[in-house]
Amino acid sequence: MKTAHAIYEDGDHKWLAMVRDSSRPDFLIDTNEYLVISDGDALLLDPGGSEIFPAVFSAVSTGFDPRRIHKIFASHQDPDVISSLSMWLEFNPGIKCYLSWLWQSFVPHFAGQADTFVPIPDNGMDIVVGARRLQAIPAHYLHSSGNFHLYDPKAKILFSGDVGAALLPPAEDGLFVEDFDRHIRHAESFHRRWMGSDKAKRDWCARVSALDIDMLCPQHGAIYRGADVARFIDWFSRLDVGVLKG
Amino acid sequence: MASPHSSAEAGRELRRIVRINEEIKSVVSTAFKINLMAMNAIFLAKRAGQSALGFGVLSNELRRFAGDLQQQMAGLRDATYGSVATVTALLNQSRISRLLERTRIEAQGEGKALIQALASRRGETTLADNDQQMAALNRRLSHLIADTAQLVELGSVLARSAKIEAAYGGGFSTSLMQVSSDFERTIGEIQRSFENLTKNQPEDVVA
Repeated sequence: MKTAHAIYEDGDHKWLAMVRDSSRPDFLIDTNEYLVISDGDALLLDPGGSEIFPAVFSAVSTGFDPRRIHKIFASHQDPDVISSLSMWLEFNPGIKCYLSWLWQSFVPHFAGQADTFVPIPDNGMDIVVGARRLQAIPAHYLHSSGNFHLYDPKAKILFSGDVGAALLPPAEDGLFVEDFDRHIRHAESFHRRWMGSDKAKRDWCARVSALDIDMLCPQHGAIYRGADVARFIDWFSRLDVGVLKG
Repeated sequence: MASPHSSAEAGRELRRIVRINEEIKSVVSTAFKINLMAMNAIFLAKRAGQSALGFGVLSNELRRFAGDLQQQMAGLRDATYGSVATVTALLNQSRISRLLERTRIEAQGEGKALIQALASRRGETTLADNDQQMAALNRRLSHLIADTAQLVELGSVLARSAKIEAAYGGGFSTSLMQVSSDFERTIGEIQRSFENLTKNQPEDVVA
Protein backbone atom coordinates (compact mmCIF):
# COMPACT_ATOMS: atom_id res chain seq x y z
CA MET A 1 0.00 0.00 0.00
CA LYS A 2 1.30 3.46 -0.92
CA THR A 3 1.60 6.25 1.58
CA ALA A 4 1.12 9.97 1.01
CA HIS A 5 3.86 12.30 2.25
CA ALA A 6 3.60 16.09 2.31
CA ILE A 7 6.89 17.20 0.75
CA TYR A 8 5.95 20.89 0.65
CA GLU A 9 3.38 22.86 2.59
CA ASP A 10 2.76 26.60 2.70
CA GLY A 11 -0.76 27.44 3.84
CA ASP A 12 -3.16 25.88 1.37
CA HIS A 13 -0.38 25.27 -1.16
CA LYS A 14 0.84 21.67 -0.86
CA TRP A 15 2.72 18.94 -2.66
CA LEU A 16 1.88 15.35 -1.70
CA ALA A 17 4.08 12.45 -2.84
CA MET A 18 2.48 9.01 -3.07
CA VAL A 19 5.35 6.53 -2.96
CA ARG A 20 6.50 2.94 -2.30
CA ASP A 21 3.65 0.53 -2.88
CA SER A 22 4.61 -2.45 -0.71
CA SER A 23 1.70 -4.54 -2.01
CA ARG A 24 2.72 -3.99 -5.63
CA PRO A 25 3.59 -7.23 -7.47
CA ASP A 26 7.27 -7.48 -8.50
CA PHE A 27 6.49 -7.51 -12.20
CA LEU A 28 5.14 -3.92 -12.07
CA ILE A 29 7.65 -1.08 -11.96
CA ASP A 30 7.32 1.09 -8.86
CA THR A 31 6.16 4.67 -9.52
CA ASN A 32 5.79 7.92 -7.61
CA GLU A 33 2.69 10.05 -7.99
CA TYR A 34 2.46 13.67 -6.89
CA LEU A 35 -0.51 15.86 -6.09
CA VAL A 36 -0.23 19.65 -6.22
CA ILE A 37 -2.90 21.37 -4.16
CA SER A 38 -3.73 25.05 -4.08
CA ASP A 39 -6.87 26.83 -2.91
CA GLY A 40 -8.89 23.59 -2.90
CA ASP A 41 -7.95 22.82 -6.51
CA ALA A 42 -5.62 19.91 -7.30
CA LEU A 43 -3.50 18.57 -10.13
CA LEU A 44 -2.40 14.94 -10.09
CA LEU A 45 0.97 14.33 -11.78
CA ASP A 46 1.59 11.06 -13.66
CA PRO A 47 -1.25 9.17 -11.92
CA GLY A 48 0.26 5.78 -12.78
CA GLY A 49 -0.94 2.56 -14.35
CA SER A 50 -4.43 1.07 -13.95
CA GLU A 51 -3.16 -1.74 -11.75
CA ILE A 52 -1.91 0.66 -9.11
CA PHE A 53 -5.03 2.87 -9.13
CA PRO A 54 -6.31 1.28 -5.89
CA ALA A 55 -3.07 2.13 -4.09
CA VAL A 56 -2.83 5.67 -5.49
CA PHE A 57 -6.49 6.49 -4.87
CA SER A 58 -6.31 5.17 -1.32
CA ALA A 59 -3.14 7.12 -0.56
CA VAL A 60 -4.51 10.34 -2.11
CA SER A 61 -7.77 10.10 -0.22
CA THR A 62 -5.99 9.90 3.12
CA GLY A 63 -4.63 13.42 2.56
CA PHE A 64 -7.12 15.09 0.23
CA ASP A 65 -10.71 14.84 -1.03
CA PRO A 66 -10.27 13.06 -4.41
CA ARG A 67 -13.45 14.71 -5.74
CA ARG A 68 -11.48 17.95 -5.94
CA ILE A 69 -8.95 16.54 -8.40
CA HIS A 70 -10.03 18.18 -11.65
CA LYS A 71 -6.78 18.01 -13.58
CA ILE A 72 -4.19 15.39 -14.44
CA PHE A 73 -0.75 16.06 -15.90
CA ALA A 74 0.88 13.29 -17.93
CA SER A 75 4.59 13.80 -18.59
CA HIS A 76 4.31 11.41 -21.54
CA GLN A 77 2.29 8.51 -22.91
CA ASP A 78 3.68 5.44 -21.15
CA PRO A 79 1.25 2.96 -19.50
CA ASP A 80 2.94 3.31 -16.09
CA VAL A 81 2.31 7.06 -16.39
CA ILE A 82 -1.27 7.38 -17.59
CA SER A 83 -3.13 4.08 -18.15
CA SER A 84 -5.08 4.68 -14.91
CA LEU A 85 -6.79 7.60 -16.68
CA SER A 86 -9.68 5.20 -17.39
CA MET A 87 -10.19 4.73 -13.64
CA TRP A 88 -9.89 8.43 -12.78
CA LEU A 89 -12.46 9.22 -15.49
CA GLU A 90 -14.78 6.55 -14.05
CA PHE A 91 -14.50 8.42 -10.78
CA ASN A 92 -14.79 11.90 -12.28
CA PRO A 93 -15.71 12.05 -16.00
CA GLY A 94 -14.98 15.80 -16.04
CA ILE A 95 -11.24 15.48 -15.32
CA LYS A 96 -8.98 17.25 -17.84
CA CYS A 97 -5.70 15.65 -18.85
CA TYR A 98 -2.78 17.89 -19.83
CA LEU A 99 -0.24 16.20 -22.07
CA SER A 100 1.91 16.80 -25.14
CA TRP A 101 -0.14 17.49 -28.28
CA LEU A 102 1.84 14.62 -29.80
CA TRP A 103 -0.03 12.07 -27.69
CA GLN A 104 -3.53 13.50 -27.76
CA SER A 105 -4.77 10.92 -30.26
CA PHE A 106 -2.78 8.02 -28.74
CA VAL A 107 -3.65 8.26 -25.05
CA PRO A 108 -7.44 8.10 -25.74
CA HIS A 109 -6.72 4.40 -26.47
CA PHE A 110 -6.49 4.15 -22.66
CA ALA A 111 -9.57 6.32 -22.02
CA GLY A 112 -11.14 9.72 -22.56
CA GLN A 113 -13.02 11.77 -25.14
CA ALA A 114 -11.68 14.57 -27.34
CA ASP A 115 -12.58 17.18 -24.70
CA THR A 116 -10.76 15.22 -21.94
CA PHE A 117 -7.37 16.34 -23.27
CA VAL A 118 -5.65 19.69 -23.10
CA PRO A 119 -2.75 19.50 -25.57
CA ILE A 120 0.50 21.14 -24.46
CA PRO A 121 2.38 22.81 -27.35
CA ASP A 122 6.05 21.88 -27.87
CA ASN A 123 7.35 24.99 -26.13
CA GLY A 124 5.26 24.33 -23.02
CA MET A 125 2.48 26.26 -21.29
CA ASP A 126 1.28 27.41 -17.89
CA ILE A 127 -1.18 25.27 -15.95
CA VAL A 128 -3.21 27.02 -13.29
CA VAL A 129 -3.91 25.13 -10.07
CA GLY A 130 -5.97 27.21 -7.67
CA ALA A 131 -3.92 30.33 -6.96
CA ARG A 132 -0.72 28.88 -8.43
CA ARG A 133 0.57 29.02 -11.98
CA LEU A 134 2.75 26.01 -12.81
CA GLN A 135 4.95 25.69 -15.88
CA ALA A 136 5.07 22.72 -18.26
CA ILE A 137 8.78 22.58 -19.13
CA PRO A 138 9.81 20.91 -22.42
CA ALA A 139 11.77 17.67 -21.92
CA HIS A 140 11.29 16.15 -25.37
CA TYR A 141 13.17 12.93 -26.13
CA LEU A 142 13.83 12.43 -22.39
CA HIS A 143 12.76 9.78 -22.97
CA SER A 144 9.55 10.28 -24.95
CA SER A 145 9.42 12.34 -28.15
CA GLY A 146 6.63 14.44 -26.62
CA ASN A 147 7.69 14.91 -22.99
CA PHE A 148 7.10 17.58 -20.34
CA HIS A 149 8.18 18.22 -16.78
CA LEU A 150 6.31 20.50 -14.41
CA TYR A 151 7.81 23.36 -12.44
CA ASP A 152 6.23 25.08 -9.48
CA PRO A 153 8.10 28.42 -9.06
CA LYS A 154 6.58 29.12 -5.64
CA ALA A 155 7.38 25.72 -4.12
CA LYS A 156 10.60 25.52 -6.19
CA ILE A 157 9.80 21.94 -7.10
CA LEU A 158 10.45 20.38 -10.49
CA PHE A 159 8.54 17.20 -11.30
CA SER A 160 10.99 15.55 -13.69
CA GLY A 161 9.19 12.44 -14.94
CA ASP A 162 11.71 9.76 -15.90
CA VAL A 163 14.69 12.11 -15.57
CA GLY A 164 16.28 11.42 -12.20
CA ALA A 165 14.56 8.04 -11.97
CA ALA A 166 16.33 5.29 -10.05
CA LEU A 167 15.41 1.64 -9.70
CA LEU A 168 16.08 1.21 -6.01
CA PRO A 169 16.65 -2.04 -4.14
CA PRO A 170 14.25 -2.63 -1.20
CA ALA A 171 16.86 -1.65 1.41
CA GLU A 172 17.48 1.76 -0.19
CA ASP A 173 13.98 2.99 -0.90
CA GLY A 174 13.79 6.13 1.23
CA LEU A 175 11.67 9.10 0.16
CA PHE A 176 14.70 11.38 -0.35
CA VAL A 177 18.19 10.80 -1.72
CA GLU A 178 20.45 10.60 1.33
CA ASP A 179 23.76 9.60 -0.24
CA PHE A 180 24.02 10.92 -3.80
CA ASP A 181 27.00 8.81 -4.89
CA ARG A 182 25.42 5.63 -3.59
CA HIS A 183 22.00 6.52 -5.04
CA ILE A 184 23.14 7.52 -8.51
CA ARG A 185 24.49 4.03 -9.22
CA HIS A 186 20.86 2.88 -9.34
CA ALA A 187 20.05 5.62 -11.86
CA GLU A 188 22.97 5.28 -14.23
CA SER A 189 22.04 2.37 -16.50
CA PHE A 190 18.43 3.58 -16.61
CA HIS A 191 19.48 6.99 -17.92
CA ARG A 192 22.04 5.60 -20.36
CA ARG A 193 19.44 3.32 -21.93
CA TRP A 194 16.21 5.35 -21.70
CA MET A 195 17.44 8.84 -22.52
CA GLY A 196 17.96 8.69 -26.25
CA SER A 197 19.36 12.07 -27.25
CA ASP A 198 22.50 13.78 -26.03
CA LYS A 199 21.38 17.08 -27.60
CA ALA A 200 18.01 16.91 -25.85
CA LYS A 201 19.80 16.13 -22.59
CA ARG A 202 22.10 19.17 -22.93
CA ASP A 203 19.12 21.43 -23.82
CA TRP A 204 17.23 20.19 -20.78
CA CYS A 205 20.22 20.66 -18.46
CA ALA A 206 20.64 24.25 -19.69
CA ARG A 207 16.91 24.95 -19.32
CA VAL A 208 16.51 23.60 -15.78
CA SER A 209 19.82 25.04 -14.57
CA ALA A 210 18.20 28.43 -15.00
CA LEU A 211 15.36 27.49 -12.64
CA ASP A 212 15.45 27.88 -8.89
CA ILE A 213 14.87 24.30 -7.73
CA ASP A 214 14.76 23.00 -4.15
CA MET A 215 13.42 19.56 -5.03
CA LEU A 216 13.65 17.46 -8.17
CA CYS A 217 10.92 14.81 -8.08
CA PRO A 218 11.22 11.87 -10.47
CA GLN A 219 8.49 9.34 -11.32
CA HIS A 220 10.62 6.43 -10.03
CA GLY A 221 12.91 6.36 -7.02
CA ALA A 222 13.92 8.96 -4.45
CA ILE A 223 13.56 12.75 -4.51
CA TYR A 224 16.67 14.95 -4.91
CA ARG A 225 16.77 18.01 -2.69
CA GLY A 226 19.09 20.87 -1.87
CA ALA A 227 22.59 20.53 -3.31
CA ASP A 228 21.73 17.10 -4.77
CA VAL A 229 19.57 18.83 -7.41
CA ALA A 230 22.54 20.66 -8.97
CA ARG A 231 24.66 17.56 -8.41
CA PHE A 232 22.17 15.51 -10.40
CA ILE A 233 21.97 18.03 -13.27
CA ASP A 234 25.76 18.12 -13.46
CA TRP A 235 25.99 14.31 -13.37
CA PHE A 236 23.34 13.99 -16.07
CA SER A 237 25.00 16.61 -18.31
CA ARG A 238 28.18 14.53 -18.31
CA LEU A 239 26.50 11.15 -18.77
CA ASP A 240 26.81 9.38 -22.10
CA VAL A 241 23.18 8.61 -23.04
CA GLY A 242 21.51 6.63 -25.80
CA VAL A 243 23.70 3.62 -25.06
CA LEU A 244 22.40 0.08 -25.43
CA LYS A 245 24.79 -1.45 -22.87
CA GLY A 246 26.99 -0.08 -20.12
CA MET B 1 -26.85 -17.59 -20.84
CA ALA B 2 -26.79 -14.47 -18.71
CA SER B 3 -24.48 -11.60 -19.57
CA PRO B 4 -20.84 -12.39 -18.70
CA HIS B 5 -20.06 -10.35 -15.59
CA SER B 6 -16.63 -11.69 -14.78
CA SER B 7 -13.62 -11.43 -17.07
CA ALA B 8 -13.35 -15.23 -17.14
CA GLU B 9 -16.96 -15.48 -18.39
CA ALA B 10 -16.37 -12.67 -20.89
CA GLY B 11 -13.20 -14.44 -22.07
CA ARG B 12 -15.19 -17.68 -22.59
CA GLU B 13 -17.85 -15.71 -24.48
CA LEU B 14 -15.19 -14.15 -26.71
CA ARG B 15 -13.73 -17.61 -27.49
CA ARG B 16 -17.26 -18.88 -28.30
CA ILE B 17 -17.76 -16.00 -30.76
CA VAL B 18 -14.36 -16.69 -32.33
CA ARG B 19 -15.41 -20.35 -32.86
CA ILE B 20 -18.64 -19.15 -34.54
CA ASN B 21 -16.65 -16.78 -36.73
CA GLU B 22 -14.29 -19.58 -37.80
CA GLU B 23 -17.29 -21.73 -38.86
CA ILE B 24 -18.74 -18.76 -40.73
CA LYS B 25 -15.46 -18.32 -42.63
CA SER B 26 -15.48 -21.97 -43.62
CA VAL B 27 -19.15 -21.82 -44.79
CA VAL B 28 -18.49 -18.63 -46.79
CA SER B 29 -15.67 -20.29 -48.71
CA THR B 30 -17.83 -23.42 -49.31
CA ALA B 31 -20.75 -21.25 -50.51
CA PHE B 32 -18.39 -19.69 -53.06
CA LYS B 33 -17.43 -23.20 -54.20
CA ILE B 34 -21.13 -24.11 -54.67
CA ASN B 35 -21.64 -21.00 -56.79
CA LEU B 36 -18.88 -22.13 -59.19
CA MET B 37 -20.11 -25.73 -59.13
CA ALA B 38 -23.65 -24.56 -59.97
CA MET B 39 -22.36 -22.50 -62.89
CA ASN B 40 -20.50 -25.53 -64.30
CA ALA B 41 -23.62 -27.64 -63.78
CA ILE B 42 -25.71 -25.12 -65.77
CA PHE B 43 -23.26 -25.35 -68.72
CA LEU B 44 -23.26 -29.14 -68.48
CA ALA B 45 -27.09 -29.24 -68.47
CA LYS B 46 -27.13 -26.97 -71.52
CA ARG B 47 -24.81 -29.35 -73.35
CA ALA B 48 -26.93 -32.33 -72.31
CA GLY B 49 -29.94 -30.53 -73.83
CA GLN B 50 -33.46 -31.95 -73.59
CA SER B 51 -32.52 -34.91 -71.36
CA ALA B 52 -31.17 -32.62 -68.58
CA LEU B 53 -33.89 -29.94 -68.45
CA GLY B 54 -34.83 -30.79 -64.83
CA PHE B 55 -31.17 -30.88 -63.80
CA GLY B 56 -30.68 -27.45 -65.40
CA VAL B 57 -33.58 -25.97 -63.39
CA LEU B 58 -32.14 -27.41 -60.18
CA SER B 59 -28.64 -26.09 -61.01
CA ASN B 60 -30.11 -22.60 -61.39
CA GLU B 61 -31.81 -23.02 -57.99
CA LEU B 62 -28.56 -24.20 -56.42
CA ARG B 63 -26.78 -21.13 -57.82
CA ARG B 64 -29.46 -18.89 -56.29
CA PHE B 65 -29.10 -20.87 -53.05
CA ALA B 66 -25.33 -20.17 -53.03
CA GLY B 67 -26.02 -16.42 -53.43
CA ASP B 68 -28.64 -16.44 -50.64
CA LEU B 69 -26.26 -18.38 -48.40
CA GLN B 70 -23.47 -15.85 -48.94
CA GLN B 71 -25.88 -13.05 -48.04
CA GLN B 72 -26.99 -14.84 -44.86
CA MET B 73 -23.37 -15.45 -43.89
CA ALA B 74 -22.60 -11.73 -44.32
CA GLY B 75 -25.44 -11.02 -41.84
CA LEU B 76 -23.98 -13.61 -39.43
CA ARG B 77 -20.55 -12.05 -39.75
CA ASP B 78 -21.99 -8.62 -38.88
CA ALA B 79 -23.73 -10.11 -35.86
CA THR B 80 -20.54 -11.76 -34.59
CA TYR B 81 -18.64 -8.49 -35.13
CA GLY B 82 -21.23 -6.74 -32.93
CA SER B 83 -20.86 -9.48 -30.31
CA VAL B 84 -17.06 -9.13 -30.28
CA ALA B 85 -17.43 -5.37 -29.71
CA THR B 86 -19.89 -5.94 -26.84
CA VAL B 87 -17.82 -8.67 -25.18
CA THR B 88 -14.70 -6.49 -25.47
CA ALA B 89 -16.57 -3.68 -23.71
CA LEU B 90 -17.68 -6.19 -21.05
CA LEU B 91 -14.08 -7.32 -20.52
CA ASN B 92 -13.13 -3.69 -20.03
CA GLN B 93 -16.03 -3.16 -17.62
CA SER B 94 -15.10 -6.21 -15.61
CA ARG B 95 -11.48 -5.00 -15.32
CA ILE B 96 -12.74 -1.64 -14.03
CA SER B 97 -15.03 -3.43 -11.56
CA ARG B 98 -12.13 -5.57 -10.31
CA LEU B 99 -9.95 -2.48 -9.78
CA LEU B 100 -12.77 -0.63 -8.02
CA GLU B 101 -13.28 -3.61 -5.73
CA ARG B 102 -9.57 -3.60 -4.85
CA THR B 103 -9.76 0.16 -4.25
CA ARG B 104 -12.79 -0.31 -1.98
CA ILE B 105 -10.85 -2.85 0.09
CA GLU B 106 -7.69 -0.70 0.33
CA ALA B 107 -9.24 2.74 0.83
CA GLN B 108 -10.28 4.05 4.19
CA GLY B 109 -12.71 6.65 5.48
CA GLU B 110 -14.25 8.96 2.92
CA GLY B 111 -12.27 7.45 0.05
CA LYS B 112 -13.84 4.05 0.76
CA ALA B 113 -17.34 5.56 0.87
CA LEU B 114 -16.76 7.39 -2.44
CA ILE B 115 -15.60 4.24 -4.20
CA GLN B 116 -18.45 2.21 -2.71
CA ALA B 117 -20.95 4.76 -4.04
CA LEU B 118 -19.30 4.75 -7.49
CA ALA B 119 -19.24 0.94 -7.62
CA SER B 120 -22.93 0.65 -6.74
CA ARG B 121 -23.89 3.36 -9.30
CA ARG B 122 -21.93 1.49 -11.97
CA GLY B 123 -23.41 -1.81 -10.84
CA GLU B 124 -26.96 -0.58 -11.31
CA THR B 125 -26.43 0.83 -14.78
CA THR B 126 -23.73 -1.16 -16.54
CA LEU B 127 -24.73 -4.67 -15.46
CA ALA B 128 -28.34 -4.15 -16.54
CA ASP B 129 -27.22 -2.53 -19.81
CA ASN B 130 -24.77 -5.33 -20.50
CA ASP B 131 -27.37 -8.02 -19.79
CA GLN B 132 -29.75 -6.46 -22.28
CA GLN B 133 -27.12 -5.86 -24.95
CA MET B 134 -25.64 -9.33 -24.75
CA ALA B 135 -29.04 -11.03 -24.69
CA ALA B 136 -30.18 -9.05 -27.76
CA LEU B 137 -27.01 -9.91 -29.68
CA ASN B 138 -27.27 -13.59 -28.75
CA ARG B 139 -30.94 -13.65 -29.84
CA ARG B 140 -30.07 -12.03 -33.18
CA LEU B 141 -27.18 -14.45 -33.75
CA SER B 142 -29.36 -17.40 -32.83
CA HIS B 143 -32.18 -16.36 -35.20
CA LEU B 144 -29.73 -15.84 -38.05
CA ILE B 145 -28.21 -19.28 -37.45
CA ALA B 146 -31.69 -20.89 -37.36
CA ASP B 147 -32.76 -19.10 -40.59
CA THR B 148 -29.55 -20.07 -42.35
CA ALA B 149 -29.84 -23.67 -41.16
CA GLN B 150 -33.28 -23.81 -42.84
CA LEU B 151 -31.78 -22.42 -46.04
CA VAL B 152 -29.05 -25.07 -45.91
CA GLU B 153 -31.74 -27.74 -45.48
CA LEU B 154 -33.35 -26.44 -48.70
CA GLY B 155 -29.92 -26.69 -50.39
CA SER B 156 -29.66 -30.29 -49.25
CA VAL B 157 -33.11 -31.09 -50.76
CA LEU B 158 -32.05 -29.41 -54.03
CA ALA B 159 -28.84 -31.47 -54.15
CA ARG B 160 -30.77 -34.71 -53.55
CA SER B 161 -33.29 -33.77 -56.31
CA ALA B 162 -30.42 -32.96 -58.67
CA LYS B 163 -29.06 -36.47 -58.03
CA ILE B 164 -32.45 -37.99 -59.00
CA GLU B 165 -32.63 -35.78 -62.13
CA ALA B 166 -29.08 -36.85 -63.08
CA ALA B 167 -30.33 -40.42 -63.47
CA TYR B 168 -32.49 -39.20 -66.41
CA GLY B 169 -29.57 -37.51 -68.14
CA GLY B 170 -29.14 -40.10 -70.88
CA GLY B 171 -25.57 -40.08 -72.23
CA PHE B 172 -24.64 -37.33 -69.75
CA SER B 173 -25.98 -39.29 -66.78
CA THR B 174 -22.54 -40.22 -65.37
CA SER B 175 -21.23 -36.66 -65.54
CA LEU B 176 -24.43 -35.22 -64.09
CA MET B 177 -24.35 -37.83 -61.31
CA GLN B 178 -20.76 -36.85 -60.53
CA VAL B 179 -21.73 -33.13 -60.31
CA SER B 180 -24.81 -33.78 -58.16
CA SER B 181 -22.78 -36.00 -55.79
CA ASP B 182 -20.30 -33.13 -55.41
CA PHE B 183 -23.23 -30.84 -54.54
CA GLU B 184 -24.51 -33.30 -51.96
CA ARG B 185 -21.09 -33.72 -50.34
CA THR B 186 -20.40 -29.99 -50.25
CA ILE B 187 -23.78 -29.11 -48.77
CA GLY B 188 -23.21 -31.93 -46.27
CA GLU B 189 -20.05 -30.06 -45.18
CA ILE B 190 -22.10 -26.89 -44.68
CA GLN B 191 -24.66 -28.82 -42.63
CA ARG B 192 -21.90 -30.09 -40.34
CA SER B 193 -20.65 -26.51 -39.92
CA PHE B 194 -24.16 -25.49 -38.87
CA GLU B 195 -24.33 -28.32 -36.36
CA ASN B 196 -21.15 -26.84 -34.84
CA LEU B 197 -22.64 -23.33 -34.94
CA THR B 198 -25.74 -24.55 -33.09
CA LYS B 199 -23.52 -26.28 -30.52
CA ASN B 200 -21.76 -22.96 -29.90
CA GLN B 201 -25.01 -21.19 -29.06
CA PRO B 202 -25.75 -20.25 -25.44
CA GLU B 203 -28.30 -22.82 -24.20
CA ASP B 204 -31.01 -20.33 -23.27
CA VAL B 205 -31.18 -18.70 -26.71
CA VAL B 206 -31.07 -21.78 -28.95
CA ALA B 207 -34.09 -21.38 -31.21
